[in-house]
Amino acid sequence: MKFWALFRRRKQRDHDLDEEIRAHLAMAIRERIDQGEDPAEAEANARREFGNTTLVKEVTREMWGFAWLETLLQDLRYGLRQLRRNPGFTAVAVLTLSLGIGANTAIFSVVDGVLLAPLPYPRPNRLVAVWETLPRSKHIDAISYPNFRDWQREAGSFQRMSAFGDSDYELTSPGMPKHIWGYEISPGFFATLGVRLTLGREFTPQEDQYGGAPAVIISNRMWRNRFAGSPEALGKVLELNGVARTIVGVTPPEFRLFERQDVYTPLGQRNPVFLNPRGSHDDMVSVARLKPGVSIAQAQAEMDAIQQHLDQLYPETDRGLGAEVVPLKHQIVGNVGGTLLLLLGAVGLVLLIACANVANLLLARAAARSREFAIRSALGANRARVVRQLLTESVILSVAGGGLGLAAAAWGVRPMLAAVPGTLPRSYDIRLNVPVLLFAFGVAVTVGILFGLAPALKSSKFDLQETLKEGGRTASSGHHHAQSSLVIFQMALTLVLLVGAGLLFRTIRHLWETNPGFDTQHIVTFKVGLSPSAARTGASTRAAYQQLLGRIRMIPGVEAADLTYILPLTGDNNTAPFWIDSQKPSVPQAAPRMMVFDTGPDYLRVMKIPLLRGRFFTPEDTAKSPCVAAIDSVFARTYFPDKDPLGQTLTFGWTPPLGPCWIVGVVGHVRHWGLGAPGAYTRAQSYYPLYQIPDRYWSVGQLESMSILIRTPLDAAVLIPEVKKAVYGAGRRQTVYAVQTMEQVAAESMASQRFPMMLLGVFAGLALLLASVGIYGVISYSVAQRVHEIGIRMALGAQKRDVFRIVIGQGLRLALAGVAIGVAAALVLTRVLSSFSHLLYGVRASDPLTFVAVSLVLAGVAVLACYIPARRAAKVDPMAALRHE
Amino acid sequence: MPKTARYKNRIELLQGTLDMLILRTLQWRPQHGYGIGQGIGAGSHEVLRVESGSLYPALHRLERQGWIVSEWGLSENKQRAKFYRLTAAGRKHLVSEESRWEEFVKAVKAVMKPAVEEQ
Repeated sequence: MKFWALFRRRKQRDHDLDEEIRAHLAMAIRERIDQGEDPAEAEANARREFGNTTLVKEVTREMWGFAWLETLLQDLRYGLRQLRRNPGFTAVAVLTLSLGIGANTAIFSVVDGVLLAPLPYPRPNRLVAVWETLPRSKHIDAISYPNFRDWQREAGSFQRMSAFGDSDYELTSPGMPKHIWGYEISPGFFATLGVRLTLGREFTPQEDQYGGAPAVIISNRMWRNRFAGSPEALGKVLELNGVARTIVGVTPPEFRLFERQDVYTPLGQRNPVFLNPRGSHDDMVSVARLKPGVSIAQAQAEMDAIQQHLDQLYPETDRGLGAEVVPLKHQIVGNVGGTLLLLLGAVGLVLLIACANVANLLLARAAARSREFAIRSALGANRARVVRQLLTESVILSVAGGGLGLAAAAWGVRPMLAAVPGTLPRSYDIRLNVPVLLFAFGVAVTVGILFGLAPALKSSKFDLQETLKEGGRTASSGHHHAQSSLVIFQMALTLVLLVGAGLLFRTIRHLWETNPGFDTQHIVTFKVGLSPSAARTGASTRAAYQQLLGRIRMIPGVEAADLTYILPLTGDNNTAPFWIDSQKPSVPQAAPRMMVFDTGPDYLRVMKIPLLRGRFFTPEDTAKSPCVAAIDSVFARTYFPDKDPLGQTLTFGWTPPLGPCWIVGVVGHVRHWGLGAPGAYTRAQSYYPLYQIPDRYWSVGQLESMSILIRTPLDAAVLIPEVKKAVYGAGRRQTVYAVQTMEQVAAESMASQRFPMMLLGVFAGLALLLASVGIYGVISYSVAQRVHEIGIRMALGAQKRDVFRIVIGQGLRLALAGVAIGVAAALVLTRVLSSFSHLLYGVRASDPLTFVAVSLVLAGVAVLACYIPARRAAKVDPMAALRHE
Repeated sequence: MPKTARYKNRIELLQGTLDMLILRTLQWRPQHGYGIGQGIGAGSHEVLRVESGSLYPALHRLERQGWIVSEWGLSENKQRAKFYRLTAAGRKHLVSEESRWEEFVKAVKAVMKPAVEEQ
């Protein structure tokens, strides 16, 4: 708008100036006629006396103060014409820049979506997660429901506080049976987040208790897919896990907290066996909204006081428990920040390399254009004017590259994220929005000036006379110097990226070679949604699983199959306090913790976990036989350092504890928490026979979604249809879901290394490509400049071989200089990499093998890139070269 | 250094003086560009001749600096023309320019004719 006002005012002024000058001429002519001159003669004389009207207007206009705009337009026009005239140069430069800017924009959009953008709820920075912490460790644990209810009642720091926990459901009606995911939520869950339901209402406190009215809130997506988005959906019935639930609400579109959910049911309807004991920490998380003006520290102080009070009231269950208030965004985003910033830094290096390439192209071109600049300056252009013209050209290039890069980023971000599933929290918040567009534009303009400035300053500074005399044939050696430095710079940056990618690659190799404690190959895992009628009681659920396993074991190619409650390497967690023999601690919190694997008797055979001592379970270990358990080698070493664990007893669990159980076997340790084995997690492991679990624990909602593991040489794609037949053969409508191989599970467990490795690998590849193009360009250019010299050398007896060697040597010298600088820089920068302790595993940041290997690769690629110009140099015909002068 | 454009050069040479001459011409009454040029010519007994290429940029610059303002009016011969008028700020500027000019002339004289001073 401002621009248009300026534009209109300017037109008016132009008009005025025209008229002013016309008036001047008219008066001059009139006076001449009055003095007796012939009219025609008078006009000619007056005009002559006035001079060049266009020029007068031009210099007058410059006084108006927005001549810069005019000049800019002129520069733009001229720049575009120049670039059109050299389509090859323009295409290479724009493509190079679009790679650099596109990659940067893509990574920035990820950083923006994950780290910078606020959570998509009203006043998101007032939202917090509240956790329970255990004594002696800062481990975050699922919270105790009675404690949560006390917090809710007592804490004055929060406007609202609510709890939710993961759950999954068999949806059997209406429509096709489907396994779906959802949350069990307390009333006010949506209000806490500040989200208004599209339709209907939240759960009432009456609904939020065991035996309360079966209500459900459905996602907007399910509402549209299954109920055609009709308001009539309210009051309709959804059959979940065999319970007919009435729809009371519909969430807004795109609503989500963490992952996308399909349905929400009342948390208070959970099995009271798990929910109600204060000592039972049934899987749930609490979110709250701070009251206006209350800081996190104040809320934390209040929670500390409340928890201390609970400690006194319920020493049996709450002794030493703490509470921790964490910003919700922090909770969701976790620790990916470092990795993302690292990637942003890496992709920034790629951009610098791309810039160096374009700067080199510009330098070469500037040498070719030096005559043009000399002529322009002879015609009166001053140096600032030439520099501005050149900068305009480079910014045009970079903005064009930026536009193309933006398109590439828009197209490429999704596939990039899809290539590494489950790595990034909030990946759904990643999009090309205004901040991302501004970033891309800002980067484009900045790099345009960055790579344009040096060539512009260099080529605008010259000895006019010399240049014109030379006839624009030979470039000054200054250009060559600048180009060589740029190539060395590129080589150094490329080496840094190669080292980074190489270290992560070595880490992944190490992780793959790490023995996870079981054989990841040839295992397929999936879950089965037992039909609700089958999963009604403990006995029927057990029977249903046993029948199912029986049928699966009959499938040809199935070597062994069994059940487990949690899977290694997936992050599944099932820890419990325990004690040995009669050393019962005063409160469960004071007891040590162990992992509990509830498995069938064939679990060891399927997983190929070695049995070290004693025996594993048999089908005879049931609820009616004496309680038995197995422990792993770490458990044995830690708690029975000088005793035979076999024959000792173990009691474990929250409220009420299970046991005492006889330890009948010792098995190998499994790297449950990941191949990189972070040390802070519970390492002692125990195994408990699935069919020994008392009936009250088997009730609906807890153990009905077991994982089935199958050891088979068959491909999952071949096996699963057979499995489905066996599952469906039961005649009921049961779903098979969460199908994956243990190899996939293992690969996904490395996601936090794989994601940066893949991206760093891509960036390093890009860098290598750009740098080799760069060195190729500079060596070719230098060969072209030295044809005369080469001709003389050959005339004086130099062999083709010698010439070839000189050129390769020149390239190699640049590459080696780059390698030397790069190694020094990488030694410093990889410390950053190792400071993210989860990124590197089994390899030091200064790993000599990596450094040597990538240096060789880089030098090798540089030599290859110089091969073509070297061949060309060797083919120089000395006669032709000399005659050419 | 490459030479700058010819017209610019001349403006720079004349700038201070030409500005003063223009302001002086406008001291008693508003005048249009042609009249200012003629006025300076007549006032200097046709010694100083102001080129249009210097005059108009100077007028527009003085206007931008707020020393003169312009308005459209009719000349004696009923010719529509743009008239420039001195502002209060312009008047003040003219006074200071005049005293600076006098000092300058005195100084130049002192350098050029030192003998006269001594005798």
